[in-house]
Amino acid sequence: MLVSFRWLQELCPVDADVAEVAHRISLAGLEVEAMDEKGNNLSGVVIAEVRAKSPHPKKDKLTLVTVFDGEDEHAVVCGAPNVPEPGGRILFARSGAVLPNGMEIAPRKVGGVESNGMICSEAELEIGAGAEGIFVVDSENAALPGVGVADALDLHDVILDIGLTPNRPDCLGHVGIAREIGVLFGVGYKARKAAGPHRTFAAGGSFDSGEPTTKLTPLWDTGSEMLDTPELPAISIEIADGDRCPRYGAALVSGVKVAPSPFWLRYRLHNLGIRALSNVVDATNLILLEWGHPIHGFDLARLGGSKVVVRLASDGEKMATLDGVERTFTTDDLLICDGEGPVAVAGVMGGLDTEIRDETKDVLIECAYFDPRSIRRTSRRLGLHTDSSHRFERGVDPEAVPRVLASAASLIAELGGGAAATTAIDRVATAYEAKSIRFRPDRASQLLGTPVSKDESLRILESLGCRIVEHNDHALTAEAPSWRPDLAREVDLIEEVARVRGYEAIPTAVPRVHPSEAGTASLLKFVDSLRDSAVASGLYEAINYGFLSVDDLRKARVSTDAVPLANPLSEERSVMRTSLLPGLAAAATRAQRHGATEVRLFELARTFHPSDEVLPREDTVLAITLAGQRSGWIGGEESFDLYDGKGVIEALVDRVFGQTPALASGEVPGFLHPKRSALVTLASRPIGFVGEVHPGVGDDLGLIGRVIYAELDVPALHALSEELGPKQARGLPKFPAVARDIAMLVRDQFSAGEIADALREASKGLAESVKLFDLYRGDQIPDGHRSLAFRVTYRDAEGTLTDKRVDKVHASIARLASDRFEATIR
Amino acid sequence: MAEPDAVQTFEDGLAEIRGAYADGLRAAGDEPELRLINARYVGPQGDLTKLLKLMPKLPGDRRRELGQAANALKQEIQTAFDDALEGIHRGAREAELTGPALDVTLPGRWQLPGRLHPITRVRNEVLDIFVSLGFDIADGPEVELYENCFDKLGFPPDHPATDEHDTFFIQGNRSSDAESVLLRTQTSTIQIREMMKREPPLAIVSPGAVYRRDDDATHSPMFFQLEGFLVDEDVTFAELKGVLTLFLRRLFDEHIAVRFRASYFPFVEPGGEVDMSCVFCRAWEGDRARTAKCRVCKGTGWMEILGCGMIHPVVFENVGYDPEKYTGFAFGMGLDRIAMLKYGIPNIKLLYENDVRFLSQF
Repeated sequence: MLVSFRWLQELCPVDADVAEVAHRISLAGLEVEAMDEKGNNLSGVVIAEVRAKSPHPKKDKLTLVTVFDGEDEHAVVCGAPNVPEPGGRILFARSGAVLPNGMEIAPRKVGGVESNGMICSEAELEIGAGAEGIFVVDSENAALPGVGVADALDLHDVILDIGLTPNRPDCLGHVGIAREIGVLFGVGYKARKAAGPHRTFAAGGSFDSGEPTTKLTPLWDTGSEMLDTPELPAISIEIADGDRCPRYGAALVSGVKVAPSPFWLRYRLHNLGIRALSNVVDATNLILLEWGHPIHGFDLARLGGSKVVVRLASDGEKMATLDGVERTFTTDDLLICDGEGPVAVAGVMGGLDTEIRDETKDVLIECAYFDPRSIRRTSRRLGLHTDSSHRFERGVDPEAVPRVLASAASLIAELGGGAAATTAIDRVATAYEAKSIRFRPDRASQLLGTPVSKDESLRILESLGCRIVEHNDHALTAEAPSWRPDLAREVDLIEEVARVRGYEAIPTAVPRVHPSEAGTASLLKFVDSLRDSAVASGLYEAINYGFLSVDDLRKARVSTDAVPLANPLSEERSVMRTSLLPGLAAAATRAQRHGATEVRLFELARTFHPSDEVLPREDTVLAITLAGQRSGWIGGEESFDLYDGKGVIEALVDRVFGQTPALASGEVPGFLHPKRSALVTLASRPIGFVGEVHPGVGDDLGLIGRVIYAELDVPALHALSEELGPKQARGLPKFPAVARDIAMLVRDQFSAGEIADALREASKGLAESVKLFDLYRGDQIPDGHRSLAFRVTYRDAEGTLTDKRVDKVHASIARLASDRFEATIR
Repeated sequence: MAEPDAVQTFEDGLAEIRGAYADGLRAAGDEPELRLINARYVGPQGDLTKLLKLMPKLPGDRRRELGQAANALKQEIQTAFDDALEGIHRGAREAELTGPALDVTLPGRWQLPGRLHPITRVRNEVLDIFVSLGFDIADGPEVELYENCFDKLGFPPDHPATDEHDTFFIQGNRSSDAESVLLRTQTSTIQIREMMKREPPLAIVSPGAVYRRDDDATHSPMFFQLEGFLVDEDVTFAELKGVLTLFLRRLFDEHIAVRFRASYFPFVEPGGEVDMSCVFCRAWEGDRARTAKCRVCKGTGWMEILGCGMIHPVVFENVGYDPEKYTGFAFGMGLDRIAMLKYGIPNIKLLYENDVRFLSQF
């Protein structure tokens, strides 16, 4: 919210500069996010008097003006239509002045005529929105030519931008912030009466005889002239829903003349981000900014039946709002109606038909208290967030209605040259009840960790406007002020004490933390160890968004049975991912586009799957992508293939388990190459899969070349790690090993793994390991065959092996190879 | 029957081999050549080996004498070979030690490890600090119930406090019913889940992905938060200040100043925000001119880093704890923001583009 420091100083003067005030209120929870000093960027712009004016010789829209700037006369060419007659004063930017938008004024020719300086509009000086013509100084302003414009128009101010938290509706107006400053600086804040209007009248028959009224006169600080009561139809107010509208007040101003506001008012609104329109509307906005309480002005002549009814809409009821949009309502929307139909959306926006117009004479000013939840729902439903709904949905001060009406009626009467009724209607459907809150200084001390005395508590709570109902040594009972809906229980008051004293004044202490017996769940630590192992295995960690498009899933041929978002930001991110493949593939594609030759990525994250439970199933998955080329040592790059994927998985799992996983045939996802993929198993249990991405899928995903993709099922791995437990130490071999090689020519259909397994099994327990050390195809090898060479390491745990015994076993496994695998031993 | 010719041939052979072997050794430049020479004379097919096969043809009275001569030659050859080999080795080592150095600028030969994502790195650093203080780590689902994300945390119904949480709902769940399903907007959901599950004392930190419908230059629709909370008897605001001050000093610099400001989050009271000295202009060093020019803190010397407060009694009531018996504090931070501050990452979007050129920097 934008706040005028000058206005705050008028409401609650403190002996501190703006930086000090900003600092103190920021620490207390009204965070000043920016400060903008006004009136200091206009040097070289002065009041000047028009001495002569004549039409431009060539261009009929331009005027030649001679101005006197207090020192010299200057000839200026001006394009505005409203150059005043000689004697009138304007705002003159001398040659050399720099305007707020950065434009430097220099002598130049306009239409062939020398122009030395510039006559400025409000907009050019950024002191208002007026851009249609130049700014003409009011005759009431006595500033002489040569006086700087900031001084002459009294522009000095600092605008604070305060980021208000939603619990502090009281600070949505200058009065509330001034009150806060009064508390924080210990100077107290005294609510002052409004300046009274010059002309008033007794409401008399203007209000229906049954209307409850409140006297405004005691709320004005000056007496005024009483006029005759104007002839107006009697106004009545009916609240049909006292829960939604506990209180509705209305004041009357008669005989106004709608016109532009004076400069001071337009300037103040401009600085606070509100566009000036007309005196009556500007006055309602100024009251809103002062009190934080939205009010609304109705053109009384257009209120059918001189009647206001506050009721819920009927389903489908329609009305055009001020912004010209026709709105349709539901039975959950509160409307302000006249005798014929809706005239305003309560607390949100007025209706088009009853808005203040140039010909408006009599104004009915509404000041009400609406149920915050009701206003919020309507505002959200209509997508209509206004200065008014912003305040009502946070909760305005229900007890402020008479004071706000008094200020508003007086201001509108003064600005519009009308007269205000000395009483206002004040209909209360549900009376405000202050909340009584018990407060124990000991509890505050205990919670804050520092002593809080009863005296300090009393002082702070009273300064905030709490009424102390009773107190003893141990506790007090306070009634929260009506403008603080956020104060409802003891802890709220404890926060107030801490806040006003200052969080900085609370000491720091180190807590004793009771360590839990269970500690962190082992799954979380396991996940971290997987992540570390993935990095140690050469992979870079990627983090993708959890959502993507159905098309992404379809292209990757992963499950499209996804959890869909109701309100996605775009189609591209409209469902939760069912697989990590699309995200990693996109990263690989991007890397390939950038010319990366070697892409090694992993992601450890969740996939989401619809389930029979209320919440979808979330699976934690470790996915790996290799794309491009594995680099050899200086040159010798080769494309990644299945064995790189297998190697990474082996390294990754081995680091965590001390055990190497195996690949096994089985059903792998359809996005993998049917002939270049496999399941990954550990201790014979499936834990994932690895393979080349199916070339068709690769094409659809925009991948270049053979791309490897693997997934490990993290919960399955974790369960296995729990089950396998820590590795158990084995004794070291006591007797030496003997190695023998066996080479064979064998058909492709037999895998090296199954042959090695069979050899080991056939060794009668003597083969400690069987390792493939050579694989050859080519000359002298028939088609469909390959030459495999294994090194078999024999060891007997019970004694030293003799050559004879080894020869015998080796011969027997060779026989097995030639029998079972039709191998030719070489 | 012995042949006198055989004796002659044998003797000539020995002499010839002795001379030729010596010549061969002298000519050999390196180990393979040396071994070749050796094999030519004493290998299985070597000249000396062949000559020895003539032994049976020698006359009996000379056989012993000639046999000894042949063995002597064999010994001689072995010694000469050993000496020559050692000489070659010595020469090679000498040449290597005094000759040109290896080109050490050629690439190393090893598989380099990969890298953790900067968010994970920061997450690990933050977790390490809290774990060392005795906190446990917990997590929870990213797709959540409305009541865990808002109601139970004390967000009043239809209240603007939810405005900062522009929420993604799962299809068919757009209202604010307790059972509505949504993407969690904050990791504070873990407070509810853990407190519903366990009894105090509790000290827990919980990192994770959260989602909000903001996507612009400074917001990412998915980002990472870390929530922490401690519940026990007599936990105080002073301790909250103590823990967070210590945490920030360990994470950034032991000299930074830390400042607590009042603020509002529905689930804490008193609630606050924490500022620390700007780590870009190193504000604690007191170089005012440098701070004045700092783009990051805009000359203030401070940067906002955490939200925190004492857990609201309404939260305890919602999870079935006695708010008179237990108090606690909670805090939350954006891991993205901390990563950006720590590594000087200018744009949050870089964190989620997975550009290998970016990921390989950390």
